[in-house]
Amino acid sequence: MRYDAMTDAIGNTPLVRIDPAVHGLRNIDLYAKMELLNPFGSVKDRAAWTMVQPLLTAAAERGDTVVELSSGNTAKALAVIAGMHGLTFKSVTNRMKVPEIKDLLLLLGADIEELPGQAECLDPTNTEDPLTRMHRSLAAAGAGYLHTDQYFNDLNVEAHLHGTGPEIVKDLDGRAPDYFIACVGTAGSSTGVATALRQHNPGVQVIGLVAHKADFIPGIRNIDEVHEVGLFDPGVYDAIETVSADDAIDGLLTLVRRCGTLAGPTGGGAYQGAVRHLRAVDATLTERRTAVFIVCDRVESYLSYLRERRPELFRQPPRRNSARTVTDAEAAGASSLDVAAARDWVERRRGLVVDLRSPYAYQALHIDGSINIVDELFAELLHGGLPFSRRQPVLLVCPVGEKSARYAALLSRMGHPEVHSLAGGVIAWRDAGEELVRD
Amino acid sequence: MTLHLSPRIEPIMRSVLAERDLLAQLVAACGSPLALVLPERLAENVAAFRDVYSDHRLGGRIYFAHKANQSSALVRQLAAGEAGIDVASLGELQHALGAGFTPDRVMATGPKNREFLWLAARTGVTVNADSLDELTELASIVTGRRLPRVRVMARLSGFASSGVHVASRRSRFGAPAGEIGAVADVVEKHADALDLTGVAFHLDTIGVAEKVVAIEGCLAALDECRRRGLRPWSVDIGGGFGAGYLADGAEWERWTTELTAAVLGRRPPLTWDGHGYGLRNDGGTLRGALGLYPAYRPVAGAAYLDRLLRADAPGQRRPVGTLLLDSMYDLHVEPGRALLDQCGLVLARVLEVRDDGGDTIVRLDLNARDVSLEEHGVLMDPVVLPAPGSAAASGPVGAYLLGNLCLEADLITRRKVFLPSRPRPGDLLAFVNTAGYFMDFSATTAIRRPVARKVALYRDGGAWRWRLDEDYWPVHPRAEAA
Repeated sequence: MRYDAMTDAIGNTPLVRIDPAVHGLRNIDLYAKMELLNPFGSVKDRAAWTMVQPLLTAAAERGDTVVELSSGNTAKALAVIAGMHGLTFKSVTNRMKVPEIKDLLLLLGADIEELPGQAECLDPTNTEDPLTRMHRSLAAAGAGYLHTDQYFNDLNVEAHLHGTGPEIVKDLDGRAPDYFIACVGTAGSSTGVATALRQHNPGVQVIGLVAHKADFIPGIRNIDEVHEVGLFDPGVYDAIETVSADDAIDGLLTLVRRCGTLAGPTGGGAYQGAVRHLRAVDATLTERRTAVFIVCDRVESYLSYLRERRPELFRQPPRRNSARTVTDAEAAGASSLDVAAARDWVERRRGLVVDLRSPYAYQALHIDGSINIVDELFAELLHGGLPFSRRQPVLLVCPVGEKSARYAALLSRMGHPEVHSLAGGVIAWRDAGEELVRD
Repeated sequence: MTLHLSPRIEPIMRSVLAERDLLAQLVAACGSPLALVLPERLAENVAAFRDVYSDHRLGGRIYFAHKANQSSALVRQLAAGEAGIDVASLGELQHALGAGFTPDRVMATGPKNREFLWLAARTGVTVNADSLDELTELASIVTGRRLPRVRVMARLSGFASSGVHVASRRSRFGAPAGEIGAVADVVEKHADALDLTGVAFHLDTIGVAEKVVAIEGCLAALDECRRRGLRPWSVDIGGGFGAGYLADGAEWERWTTELTAAVLGRRPPLTWDGHGYGLRNDGGTLRGALGLYPAYRPVAGAAYLDRLLRADAPGQRRPVGTLLLDSMYDLHVEPGRALLDQCGLVLARVLEVRDDGGDTIVRLDLNARDVSLEEHGVLMDPVVLPAPGSAAASGPVGAYLLGNLCLEADLITRRKVFLPSRPRPGDLLAFVNTAGYFMDFSATTAIRRPVARKVALYRDGGAWRWRLDEDYWPVHPRAEAA
């Protein structure tokens, strides 16, 4: 396949059958529409390109900034497309909770504006929704913005009505599936695909999945939030069901570990919600049926999301010489010098003074002649072994003498013969009126 | 469907609510509405904050934001302990000094007039200055009246963020953080009058990210002050730690979902006149934003402080609590609502119960200003306290609560409140957990109705005793004998 631009590679994603041994449904063939294989990594590539393409030439002439209220995949796709056409992109968001996506957008050259959190002292007259606030700030800035407006833009639906939907029908040999299951974010893909499928078979059952209200699943709205979406029409769905973050992660694990599909949580939620809904139906069936769900995006951007919720998935072998293995008794047994003894030790230049605090705090004020190795870095060094000679006496300094005692105990355990901790830390040193310097 | 919003009631509050006879007598004697405060609980809340300080090995003072409640009993009880107090007016400063606070435990905040500045300087409390002009005016008072040097903190605002632009609501208070040099100029120019002990901010947000940016901004500002030879040692991060009002998150979620459905016309209204609390129906799409306090907050008060201190600073990539400790800075906080959690309640007598169309109306002898939950957007159900000796109650009811002002708008809440039993005239409704901001912040003597009397409850032996708020001092005869 030869293309002139990456945007030409958007769409025409494969429809892949999920192994029945994995999902366990007897009478239903379950297919995944692999939207994660779009060039910028998600189903949103279609909507972003469809919405922005007709306006690009004029926007490039005027030098407009592309702007969208998005905290994820739409922002990512728009940032890439804007960059390809010499435009800048700005993402406005109050929900950007996934650090990898934040970093990726910055890498792509996007500006990110996070809206303020809710006021603690309520002003009941201030009831602007984020979209209204964004419109207002764009209006105040005057011209120069191309706002794609994904929650209200009909082109978002059309991208799927003319693309995703017909592709599914074509791959099923001209038939629409009996069931279509999709997570509801902007409602663009679910509405567009559902409409296209029903043109072939009005009897298609469409299941919309929303997030459990107390949960956060990137890319899925909860049952209240979907009503804020202009494209959302409850009439599209035969049923609206809830998935939890746990469901989404369970589904994600099945897809990534057993199906060769590196899906993110939205795809995982769609799989889990689909299988749960279909399992009940399956038991009553006597003939074969077909179901399709959408795998929206890829897993790589959600590692911190997964680590936060399922730390056990990332279990690391214990590293040697870890300060966490130092017991309270060991720390209490470490050699410590009180302020007077420490001053004497320093004045007689007995050895190296290592300050474990942050570089900024160290630079602001420290014991004269000390060197700074921030604790995190020091811990990293110790995993490899002693970072200085055993003949080099050491005095460790931290804020209150706790961390330094732990590290002193650890160094002793590693075979260092003369390591001390400053009792009470640099705060005791300061409070005793001892000299602190700033270089 | 009954849509309860059950308040979170801790054992101390439950124990007060069980004193039916005492509560009925107090309302009979002191009138309706009646505000009750529980000084003993306040000390426990201070201790919870102190525990977080200890966990992070941080020093510094916990200043109670006096504006959250005018009670003398609460302020005197605090004076007996370790906490400080944040005063925002001349009257509050006088009250704090009279309650036993020594000046080293008092922080003067907010917009200040000359008289407030003079008394603050004369007594030697710390002045948390809102602007450069205020610092200059304070210096001129100190110099002109030959007063001793005053400890000051500079309140900053408009912190810059790196990487991602973290927007904050515009604030009317504080000097721009980028102009810390100008603050240092004023302090250096008036070195005989002003002693800069630290910098401060207060952001009206529940967002941790914004506060983390501000703390990192304060660290940079302090560094600049130190570079210039000043010796500030503290960061004051204000209040806004919040309180959890509701017992059950699922109830809150169910109610807000039903409100959304009601606004979109998919269920009968849940509110007086279909009020949407900021939400509106725009051609079938929901617009606006829910103008309500997030009343179910599993992480609030001291736990919120802990979460904030554990959050990584975006620039230095280290938890802000660790950064403060590394730099040996004291941390000052000014919680109001969070320290008053479970510290008080408002009682109101039921005057009339009638059916009006399909609705039940309960008219109370108090108005929406006497328990200003609605104004502050906090929704929680009152507790029905049947009059002593009254017969068994009838079944549950959904009712609108009307106030005693001759105003159409005087609804205690515009929400239909689902009560476990239909109240009768003479019963009491208890609005629990209302000591922080809902008791007297908005109260008015309109139409010559007196504001609620305040009574302090305290335990003596196993029994609850009471004093008029103005007569309560933290020395109970029994306790001294023991």
